[in-house]
Amino acid sequence: MTARPRRNKNRPSDAPPDLRAERETFVRTFLHKGVELTEDLLRENQGLEAEARRLRDENTRLRAQLASNDAIRELLTTVEALERERNSLLNRSDELENAARQTEARYRNVEQELNDLASLYVASFQLSNTLSVRRVLRHLCELLEQLIGAQSFAIYVLSIDGKRARLLSGRGKAADGVDELPVDDASFLDACLTGVPKIHELEERDAAAARAAPLAVLPLSFDGEVVGVITIHELLSHKRCWALVDRELFKLVCAHGAAALIAANLYEAEAGPRAALDGVVAHAAQVAQSLNPSEPGHPVVLATKRGQ
Amino acid sequence: MAGYSCLVVEDSPMMRQLIVFALSRIKNMTVAEADDGIAGLKKLATERFDLIITDINMPIMDGLKLVRKIRSDDRHKDVPVIVITTEGSKEDRERAMALGASAYITKPIQAPQVIETVKELLRL
Repeated sequence: MTARPRRNKNRPSDAPPDLRAERETFVRTFLHKGVELTEDLLRENQGLEAEARRLRDENTRLRAQLASNDAIRELLTTVEALERERNSLLNRSDELENAARQTEARYRNVEQELNDLASLYVASFQLSNTLSVRRVLRHLCELLEQLIGAQSFAIYVLSIDGKRARLLSGRGKAADGVDELPVDDASFLDACLTGVPKIHELEERDAAAARAAPLAVLPLSFDGEVVGVITIHELLSHKRCWALVDRELFKLVCAHGAAALIAANLYEAEAGPRAALDGVVAHAAQVAQSLNPSEPGHPVVLATKRGQ
Repeated sequence: MAGYSCLVVEDSPMMRQLIVFALSRIKNMTVAEADDGIAGLKKLATERFDLIITDINMPIMDGLKLVRKIRSDDRHKDVPVIVITTEGSKEDRERAMALGASAYITKPIQAPQVIETVKELLRL
């Protein structure tokens, strides 16, 4: 057993001065160290607080950035949707533009067809609207000049034997000079023999001009017989090709021109329209009787029933 | 609804009919016809028109004289006049425009050309 150190009987105040000083030094040092430690702790605490603040700020910033990224993602999605909508609208717009172009082209075609039909109607109406030879010729000339654009043309009628073609009317160089031609003239022999119009393409107009051939030869036929010919030699300078309606007008002239001329020529001998119809009922009755002598009824009605 | 009236002066019945056909396609358009310049002037003496269409080459009184008469008449001097010419007759066309014609149409006549020119002049 160790002996307990023996306590000094003397009180501290009774300690020698060097010990007291030593104690005071110790206490002072202790207190100083305590102060230093406290100050260290305070500094450390401040640093930690600053670090916590910094982390809080960083956290807030990151949260804001995250929110901002979400917003950007949303905006990007919206942009993509809008882009899709824009493309769809552009496609629709293209489709509508195409449809509008097609409608416009169709409208122009319909307008052109209407114009062509009007030309055909007017030509036909005017040709069949008169029984005067002068007017029939005038209408034929106007049709060729105004509707087809012919500048130089001639209208011939064939002699009874069909061997000679006599000039009836015309315009320009084609109507000057020769009043009569043999039908075997190369310029219209084929058309007279076949009754089929001969139409050169206008690209060939220089070649046709070089051999003095007409650009078009239109036989005027009635009842399967060629009774006249129209030759077109020159067209208005701006006319580059035959239009579709020109060919239809040629058909009309070939089919109706001869009939109009014949009817007008026959009518010249009549005293008037009623006189020209004199005897038509008797004639129709005769036709009806000859077709079916046993069938009773009004002769004209019978004739028309049978398509006569 | 207010309509428009047009006088067509043309000696060729065929061309006249074609022009009338074209004009008939314009809404509320009424058309009067005359077959030469004198007949046209007679119509103008008794009626007022919103538009006059005249051919240049006509017997008795041609289109140029008619245009001159129209422009010297206070009642009709402001009425638009369209002259019909052939492609080759540039001189006639220039004379007509110098006399006061408002526009020209060249033969062969095409209905769309007539309609377009008329609509332009009447601001339809």
